[in-house]
Amino acid sequence: MLPFLALLMLYHTWPVIFGTYLAFTKYNIISPPEFVGLDNFRELIKDQQFWSGVVNSLKYLLVVPFIQLLSIGVAMLVNRPLKGIGFFRTAYYVPVVTSFAVVGLIWTWMYQQSGPVNFVLMHLGLMQRDSSLLNNPGSALYAVMFVTLWKGIGYYMVLYLAGLQSIGRELEEAAVIDGATRWQVFVNITLPGLRPTILVCSLMSTISAVKVFEEIFVMTQGGPVGSTYTALFFNYAKAFQDFRYGYAAAAGIVVAVISLVFGLINFKMTRGGRVDG
Amino acid sequence: MTTSPKTDPTTSPQAAHLRAQKRRRTRLHNFAAYTVLTTIALVMLYPFYWTLITSLEPTGNIYEAKLLPSGLSLKNYAAVLSGTTVPFLRMVLNSVVICTVGVIASVTFAALAAYPLAKMRFPGRDLIFYAILALVVLPNEAGLIVNYITTIKLGLLEQRGPVWDTITQYAAIVLPSVASIIGLFLIRQAYMGVPIELIEAARIDGAKELTIWRRIMLPLSMPTIAAFAILEFVALWNSFLWARILPLDPQMLPLSAGLLELSGTFATNSRATMAGAVLVIIPILIVFASLQRYFMKGIEGAVKG
Repeated sequence: MLPFLALLMLYHTWPVIFGTYLAFTKYNIISPPEFVGLDNFRELIKDQQFWSGVVNSLKYLLVVPFIQLLSIGVAMLVNRPLKGIGFFRTAYYVPVVTSFAVVGLIWTWMYQQSGPVNFVLMHLGLMQRDSSLLNNPGSALYAVMFVTLWKGIGYYMVLYLAGLQSIGRELEEAAVIDGATRWQVFVNITLPGLRPTILVCSLMSTISAVKVFEEIFVMTQGGPVGSTYTALFFNYAKAFQDFRYGYAAAAGIVVAVISLVFGLINFKMTRGGRVDG
Repeated sequence: MTTSPKTDPTTSPQAAHLRAQKRRRTRLHNFAAYTVLTTIALVMLYPFYWTLITSLEPTGNIYEAKLLPSGLSLKNYAAVLSGTTVPFLRMVLNSVVICTVGVIASVTFAALAAYPLAKMRFPGRDLIFYAILALVVLPNEAGLIVNYITTIKLGLLEQRGPVWDTITQYAAIVLPSVASIIGLFLIRQAYMGVPIELIEAARIDGAKELTIWRRIMLPLSMPTIAAFAILEFVALWNSFLWARILPLDPQMLPLSAGLLELSGTFATNSRATMAGAVLVIIPILIVFASLQRYFMKGIEGAVKG
């Protein structure tokens, strides 16, 4: 118990405390932190780069409804007792267990100007092969979002599958016998039964969307021309490129508050995940 | 429901017709389901397949969309493994060490710490548990920065001689992930399911708490502990950010972090990096495929709470 607690304090509790303190200081590791009050926050308010990062992070929230709807759909598909369904479940989970380092690199290659993504888009008549989606400031953020979606579906699918299986088939079958249509069953039985799972999943995906970082780190480093520069990438850049740890910590606190607010909105929207409406 | 209530549903031709219709409909539904399932599977797997075949090609138009490689050669794999630019085999060793130590340490710590929280009575027990749990919910943005500072202050990255340095750098990578709150939560949940009578009986027989833990709790919670161990292995194998941020000796980088290094140094030879990516994926796929059941169970357990 004690060694666990000690490490917990050191690597989980201490960052919260010391990080909050750092936000009110000027600190570069070499000299001791110097207390500057609200200076960091005042500077943040005026920092264009930070706000465009926040805006990009908020844009990233667009991925949440897509990822949730698709995973619910996929979970319902793989919940059917079909032959070989185990293969499909496993296949969809492969991106989940693969590192962002690998996934990010693979998609960077896939998005190259002569690569498979452009090939498909061209044949669908959706674009001319003039540039890669990742090199274009108008599309880069959405291209990265697609990778988040692609990697995340399998993860949420498993969670929804667990939720679906806890609802059980009896209720749905009873409704079908009573003459309910598929859509009625879905809206009146499946969806309410899934509400606790939907809360957990949308909460997780909202918070991780606001805090998106690893995809950006591997694929675009914030570029081109800052179009994928997210709030947390700002936080990283200030700390590990500019060595302004206090300023970065202040940005971190703002991001934390934003994700907390969106978490609460989520909580309200799913009515706290209660099964009864 | 068009059959009249008077006809016997098992013999009437109308019913037979309805059954045939239903069967046809099911078949159509299944066909549609398989089509959608296969399409999604292609989207999920093609990027991996494409990386694999491209890494096997000796030359040609590298990023082209394709279904089969234009030629077969292992020269890209040789380029990665020979380690002239990046010590790939050393990175494999690093990852193995980090995963082994990390999994053993975090499982042991979580399994030990969960016991008093689940089955021993002392004041403030639940308070401690919820305080720990709250840390997951608590925003931890500055985590990376402060953990970095902590690691530096602990002197884990100071130079003191080759053997010592190797140990401390491994420690710097592993330590932040050892106290796993998720692991504590999962294992405590499993302990809660162990009947209290069993423990009381052992206590009456004079067994020490540590003996009870080892002889009763551990064996009975093995499925959950195994699931957590797998989750932890996958997480450690895949983690790269922390190791990339630490100013480590390049020799010390684990695989996932090393792969990014590789993509930097092999900027002109993406095929070699692709070969590296394939080599990073393969072990995790083997682990995942062989232990898949525990894996899914572990995640489901986490949801149901």
